[in-house]
Amino acid sequence: MSLALRDLRSKSLLPGTSACPGCPENMAMRMVGMALGNDVVMVVVAGCSSVIQGIGPKNAYGYPVLNIAFAAGSAAASGMWRALRQRNKDTTVVVWAGDGGTADIGFASLSGAAERNENFIYLCVDNEAYMNSGGQRSGSTPHGAVTSTTPEGKKENKKELLFLMLDHHIPYVATASVGYPHDLIDKLRRAKNIEGFRYIQVLTPDPYGWLFDPSRTAEVAKLAVQTCYWPLIEVSHDKVTVSNESLHCLKKETRRPLRDFTSLQGRYKRLSEQDFQELEKYVDYLWDRISKLMD
Amino acid sequence: MRKIISGNEAVALAVKLARVGVVGIYPITPQTTIIEELAEMKLRGEVSADVVRVESEHSAMGVTLGAAVSGVRAFTATSSQGLLYMHEMVWWAAGSRAPLVMVVATRAVGAPWNIWNENTDFMSERDSGWIMAFASSPQEALDLTIQAFRVSEDPRVFLPMMVGMDGFVLSHTKTNVYIPSQEDVDEFLPPRRQPYVIDPETQESMGNIFQPFDYMKLRHSIHESIESSQDVIREIGREYEKLNPLSDYKTLNVEYKLEDADYAVVTMGAWSLDAMEAVDRLRQEGVNVGLYRVRYIRPWATDEIMRALGDKKGVIVFDRATSLGRGGPLYLEMKATIDSPVKGVVTGLGGVSIGKKDFYHVISKSIEEFRFKSFREVEWYYPGEVKEVELGTPRSSI
Ligand code: SF4
Repeated sequence: MSLALRDLRSKSLLPGTSACPGCPENMAMRMVGMALGNDVVMVVVAGCSSVIQGIGPKNAYGYPVLNIAFAAGSAAASGMWRALRQRNKDTTVVVWAGDGGTADIGFASLSGAAERNENFIYLCVDNEAYMNSGGQRSGSTPHGAVTSTTPEGKKENKKELLFLMLDHHIPYVATASVGYPHDLIDKLRRAKNIEGFRYIQVLTPDPYGWLFDPSRTAEVAKLAVQTCYWPLIEVSHDKVTVSNESLHCLKKETRRPLRDFTSLQGRYKRLSEQDFQELEKYVDYLWDRISKLMD
Repeated sequence: MRKIISGNEAVALAVKLARVGVVGIYPITPQTTIIEELAEMKLRGEVSADVVRVESEHSAMGVTLGAAVSGVRAFTATSSQGLLYMHEMVWWAAGSRAPLVMVVATRAVGAPWNIWNENTDFMSERDSGWIMAFASSPQEALDLTIQAFRVSEDPRVFLPMMVGMDGFVLSHTKTNVYIPSQEDVDEFLPPRRQPYVIDPETQESMGNIFQPFDYMKLRHSIHESIESSQDVIREIGREYEKLNPLSDYKTLNVEYKLEDADYAVVTMGAWSLDAMEAVDRLRQEGVNVGLYRVRYIRPWATDEIMRALGDKKGVIVFDRATSLGRGGPLYLEMKATIDSPVKGVVTGLGGVSIGKKDFYHVISKSIEEFRFKSFREVEWYYPGEVKEVELGTPRSSI
């Protein structure tokens, strides 16, 4: 489907946010607005986006937002959509949370809400560390990445939320990247029309934690997909679709070299040969599992 | 209508009568039968509420708060560890000025495990910005829960409200309870009011970063609202008497034989009735003593208390709760309010059973101490044979 982004106006993001230059979360937020229109309310858990909104009582997000404690996003959204239903409102409820709020502290309430199949979209903006507090490692930080709490480079692999969420048997699970707006917007639009729990994880490369030039956010977000570090996939009612941008990843031979992704980023500066192989193994594992899903 | 029901059943009925929209539920003894009863009522079609079976107390308050800010009446209940686990959200609800109601069936806090009654869980939330009332009977648990929705949703208050009751002692004990009619409750509770609603029409947002000055002003406004809620609570209490003609909610707290008394006993919750019997007996013996039952922890009824207790020769405060290292919280509050000599008695923790004999014993002994001006500021009282306290941590030897 072709889509002229410029024609898609939405009030999701007003001018004057407090985001850093080159912020991938702002990119994602703009795409949410383009995809979902105006009949949306948001629950935002602790993270960069609590700050990006600017100083209260004003707010740079055009959507009504309930900001809430780190671990409570999914629970608050569960209460919200039920209240809105009781008031006969056909509103899309969206939880917006970072990877820390999703993979770590918020995982219990996320898992609970998914198991109950609550009717909202959960959007995880994954910048692979606790960026708002200065870039500490999270469960979603990849192997080898230097963060402010893993100065030696993280020794463990990234927690695979995609598969964890698939095991909750929810109607919709997808991954996307801010490098591919059309793909994300398509997925959000499809998700909007599905009832029940919808989980979308968007890769949001952060110049300040990943250590690349802020002008290259979109480029890094694309490279993550091209090198198959990050899959673009959608599982809708058990139907698995790999986006065109990711189809080449299904075969190892056609993948772009992973170095093209890692070499741009300062966070991989301590990456030994062994660490690099570990990362490559992670990519193999990811696509092995995805291939099995497609069988 | 009258019915023989437990405190927990009374609370569930109150939630039904208040036509609550969303209930977040998670089990913990001794609160659990409230939520079980609500789930049963839902099955029987007696309530239209959405009953959300969440995975933790943190989420129970999350659901309740999310529903409340999006425009419906919301309720939850908990106890002990559950309340502590929820603590963060308890504060978030008050900071969000979200009208909602929670019942706490009190229970001791671990470690070690202990499921019996103690009020420390409830009392530990007294700084969180909620309106907090404590019942002394299943009847009062029902009445206060219904009133809580009205108080919480009053524009002069707009804060969450917590109703406490003694675990097991009230939560599981059946007594004769007067249940107001649905028509009366409907008339008493106007359609929901709240400071803001989060939905696409209102375009309001809540909770992003506030600068120091603005943040402090918001905290200040909560403080002011709690203070001024006293008049609102008395006004609503008087109105409630139409629903239950035998009730008395004209004042926040309750006086018993206090006017001409030289000495006063202060209690909260179910054991107040035992203490009243001890007061009766002491009166028969010519001791001039009365009782003051604290029903509201927040707001703290400074004026009522000063009028009632300001001129006493001695005030004995019983705490079924601790502020470890400082005695009991009620004692501390009382001491900060009146100039009369105040003695604090910590007892009844973790289900230690205190009867009227114990009250009689401690009250008469304390009055003697006041007479000789030799009272201990804080006493830990053990009933029966246990008079000595072993210091240090008891543990089983290996
Ligand atoms: S730290 Fe990263 S995610 Fe956070 S506001 Fe800055 S650029 Fe955006």
